[in-house]
Amino acid sequence: MTTSFDIKNKKTMGLAAMQGRGFYYPFDLAFDSNDKIYVLGRGHDYDPRGARITVMDMEEEYYGTFGSFGDKEGQFMWPSSIAISNKDKIYVSDEYLNKITIMTTEGDFISSFGQLGNAEGEFDGPNGLVFDDNNQLYIVDHRNGRIQVFDEDGNYIRKFSSEGESEGKLNLPWGITHISDDTLYISDWGNHRIQEFSTNGDFIRTIGSKGNNESNLLHPSSSAVDDLGYVYVSDWGNHKLKVFDKHGTFLCSNRGEGTLSKWAQDFLDTNVQEKEARSKANLVFELESFKNDPFTESSHVEKLFWCPTSISFHKDKLLIVDSSRHRIQVFNKVEKL
Amino acid sequence: MKDKKDRSLVVVQLSGGNDAMNTIVPYNNGIYHDSRSAIHLTEKEIIDIDGSLGFHPEMGALKNLWDQNKVAVINGIGYPVPNRSHFRSMDIWHTAESESIAPDGWLGRTIREIDPNHNNVVTAVNFGRGLPRALVCKDVPVASVGDLETYGLMPDIKGKEQRQDVLNYFSRMYGPNQGRDAILEALGENGVSAMNGADILSGANSKYSSSIEYADNPISNNLKDIAKVIFADVGTKIYYAQHGSFDTHAGELFNHAKLWKDLSDALGDFFEDLKEHDRQDDVTVLLFSEFGRRIQDNGSGTDHGSGGVAFVLGGSVNGGFYGEQPSLEISEQVEGDMKYNNDFRSTYATLLDKWMGIDSVPILGKNYEQFNFINKGT
Amino acid sequence: MSNKDIMLMAHLMRRVGFGSTKDELEEYIKNGYDNQVDIILDSEPNYEISKHLINRYQPDYGSPMGNSSNGASWLYKMIWSDSPFKEKISLFWHGIFATGYAKLANGIVLHDQIKMFSKFGLGNYKNLLIELSKDPAMIIWLDNCESHKGAVNENYGRELLELFSMGTGNYTEKDIKEASRAFTGWTIANKDYMTTKSQRDSVWPYGRLAMHFEYKEDDHDEDEKIFLGETGNFNGEEIIDIICKQKATAKFISRHMYSFFVEDEPPVPEWPYKEPNNPNAIELLSEVYFDTGYNIKEMLRFLFKSKFFKSEKVWNKRVKSPIELVAGTLRITKEFERPDKQQSSANSHTSFMGQHAMNPPSVEGWHWGTEWLDSGTVVERVNFSSSKLGDVNNSGIRKIINNVKSNISNQYSTELLIEKILEELGSIIVSKTTKDTLKDFVNSKINSEKSLNDDNLSELLQLIGAMPEYQRA
Repeated sequence: MTTSFDIKNKKTMGLAAMQGRGFYYPFDLAFDSNDKIYVLGRGHDYDPRGARITVMDMEEEYYGTFGSFGDKEGQFMWPSSIAISNKDKIYVSDEYLNKITIMTTEGDFISSFGQLGNAEGEFDGPNGLVFDDNNQLYIVDHRNGRIQVFDEDGNYIRKFSSEGESEGKLNLPWGITHISDDTLYISDWGNHRIQEFSTNGDFIRTIGSKGNNESNLLHPSSSAVDDLGYVYVSDWGNHKLKVFDKHGTFLCSNRGEGTLSKWAQDFLDTNVQEKEARSKANLVFELESFKNDPFTESSHVEKLFWCPTSISFHKDKLLIVDSSRHRIQVFNKVEKL
Repeated sequence: MKDKKDRSLVVVQLSGGNDAMNTIVPYNNGIYHDSRSAIHLTEKEIIDIDGSLGFHPEMGALKNLWDQNKVAVINGIGYPVPNRSHFRSMDIWHTAESESIAPDGWLGRTIREIDPNHNNVVTAVNFGRGLPRALVCKDVPVASVGDLETYGLMPDIKGKEQRQDVLNYFSRMYGPNQGRDAILEALGENGVSAMNGADILSGANSKYSSSIEYADNPISNNLKDIAKVIFADVGTKIYYAQHGSFDTHAGELFNHAKLWKDLSDALGDFFEDLKEHDRQDDVTVLLFSEFGRRIQDNGSGTDHGSGGVAFVLGGSVNGGFYGEQPSLEISEQVEGDMKYNNDFRSTYATLLDKWMGIDSVPILGKNYEQFNFINKGT
Repeated sequence: MSNKDIMLMAHLMRRVGFGSTKDELEEYIKNGYDNQVDIILDSEPNYEISKHLINRYQPDYGSPMGNSSNGASWLYKMIWSDSPFKEKISLFWHGIFATGYAKLANGIVLHDQIKMFSKFGLGNYKNLLIELSKDPAMIIWLDNCESHKGAVNENYGRELLELFSMGTGNYTEKDIKEASRAFTGWTIANKDYMTTKSQRDSVWPYGRLAMHFEYKEDDHDEDEKIFLGETGNFNGEEIIDIICKQKATAKFISRHMYSFFVEDEPPVPEWPYKEPNNPNAIELLSEVYFDTGYNIKEMLRFLFKSKFFKSEKVWNKRVKSPIELVAGTLRITKEFERPDKQQSSANSHTSFMGQHAMNPPSVEGWHWGTEWLDSGTVVERVNFSSSKLGDVNNSGIRKIINNVKSNISNQYSTELLIEKILEELGSIIVSKTTKDTLKDFVNSKINSEKSLNDDNLSELLQLIGAMPEYQRA
């Protein structure tokens, strides 16, 4: 008897906003020790106001925003990932300026490190960030196809892996997560797989591969692991969430179930004309053009994931940053049916 | 009385939709307070005008000019069937055409009237890259200047003499020796015209001398550059600049304040500069925006609305209120927005006819009722 | 392999794409001219990779939130695509079926429209017109969603005839009315919500939404119509069928092709009064139109292999549109390989030069030829070109410099230097006046191989970027 699995959507948070309450192309998020969420907005090239950090919590309380576009201290140009140390310091990677910026949770600049290059301690597109239990910071140096490890003050410690397609090698990797048995899961975006490494840099295994089946991946951006060892992947190129068990067997997927968040509801309540027109619209449908083109499908059907960039657990909730829809979709863990 | 031909018009576009209600503030109005719980301005904060309306707190310099009777405030300005899309509404203001899509702008047509033979390539100067539709008209040359100090051809060549040397070769390639096909002719004419324009304008930059210290921000820099060209007397009649973004959907109090402080101070400095050079009666400034914003705020800012405010400033202006302050009563609102009561083309017509001495009807397509904000006898 | 062969190939590549450098031309020559035409027309570029790569760094790919990302990623494709012809064709149709962001306030539908041009732009003209009539961007742009049975809006019917197929003077006002009746019911799904969002410029709550075609049968006027002399209960498809049968359509499309690919024709509003530059060419193209059942690709194949196209008389006869100028220049300089902020800045430049991609000033599109040139745009164009070509740090320019140096090694002369540089840049043809000017400039700065340093070469390249011939294609 085969067991079926399912994953249920709990709610949606967020709103498209260049300033104030909301985000523009959020790429990643992190929690501080007080359960506040710091959502890293990427913005886009023609409107840099979106490059900032928005502070909120799981009840959708809005606490403010800080950070801005630019190349001066404390500013970002292509902010990509965010991590928070156990001392509640914020770390943001910038894949255009090739540096990591350290700030307080109030947004005050502390320091930064990094510059363009491929020597040790230099970056070419620093991306995913994660701390291990010893406060070592793992940085995905994606165009150099490697992981570099630093201490929390930005001092270089070591590195591992290199560019390539074989096992243990990386091709434009993106997200990274760490779990407490001291392993790392790295999203190998260019090789369409998740790779597990020890924190020492020893290759352990891969999950997923390129292909057209439901169990395959296309440019995965990020992954998260629950306490049972299930691996949750934000399958960016397919605009899906995919779940694998601890042996790497595919369990189930979800195409996204965005609903109206508190902030979205507030917007509609203030804009009655738009709310009315929306209530009469049919927002879910299927078109010929959707075949083999989930990007197009997501551009039409609002509730679906559109470029999910980051996935992580907070307590027992799964948070997926749904970047092109400027929101966060929250799910429960996978459950057996 | 100065000759009309010394006059010029400076148009400053406030891009993004300036919130009229927080600019000219009905601070005693209960509806204003109730609809704007997050972003209303209080009696203490505003600069009072007449007991029921006040200027935004950062408009001190503008209030000075108002007290000298040099500021006309045109309330409730707009057009029928308001459009709340930035691009479309701005196009309507640029082309003075609200029913269909026109390819050229009201100022472009004006320049064509002023200088039909293109005798002066700097009849109109735009401060900013690219050309706003308002200035576009077939065959009408307009210089688009990013920064007056560096404006010109081949700015990458360093060193004044070196550059002049290279530009000599440039002018040979664009000169009459090239023989004729239509394209070479167009390239030649425009290339040479651009060089001449750059020469004329660089003269303006180097001749400038003033005791006024402008702030260092884009609108101040632009107005200072405009002043330089005015004083150089090169025959420019129309200047254009932009300021923004006024699209304050969020964080309005902070953003709107900064925008008006920069603008108001810049205008104050500009008029001081004009006064110092005895030109304040020769220049009229128009401030406009593509629409106003909604009466109700959204918790942090306001969304696109209609029924805005425009300003006409200058030594030859009859200060005061024009148009009517739109009512905030629900029965008078248009889908939650203020209703316009005067068509923006009336303001255009007034500036064209009464200030520039140009017949407005062929430029705007028909006759629009005019205001009295330009001093009779000028 | 003669010099004339290279120059002919350079001319072809400037017209089917955005120009080629010397080493590319030497590869293409090996295929032979006619064969090369076939290869260009029949090859399919590989898009999927570049789309994901662009999207990774530019989350606004497809321009959900603005419009300018559309122009930026289109430029990226023009520069890096292995088949720039596909992009050129889309640009061609975009200029004719001009639809602008200003009214739509939605970049996705424009992105989708360009995709549609890419997909159908080389096929059958009838199909293309049908797809166009169902295109959501077009439907909103020309108000067809406001056209109802009993309350017909004639905007689309009019422009379909005037600008997209037959040209003015070949039909009557009644024909416009009848055509418009036939297109009632051709609307978009969720029309009220979509138009509300457009008018309010709404990106809320979760960004903009793509749109799709919906046919509302109960809103369609199915009664009898008389159109161009034929009678029937025509729906949109039948109207298009009748339109495509007309000689006027063949000539109109042929003239557009001639103008875009051969030499600048006068602006469209003048077509009823001004004869084509080459009436015979238009005749021949019209014949191919009918012989191949309105096949666009085959018309172009005929065009590129024709005497009138290959003739030296039309070499360099067009003014490059801003997009061609920018894309062509960046193809030479190769200043960025990965998707970068640079392509966003490049897109702004085309806008300063008067061509904002996906945002033409009106349904007439942009006026081409000498109308691209005024004293403001000439400054932008010259400054952009000279600045880019003069930047010796760009890998493309560096390569050209190295090639030139090795080619004139030990046989330096002013003549040779200029000849080699112009060859490397894609066999640019210059007049005697320009050549003399360049020679005098070189003589004043460089007298031997030793003075071929970066500074001198940069200035020379800047002057070449500034020359009037560089503005032409």
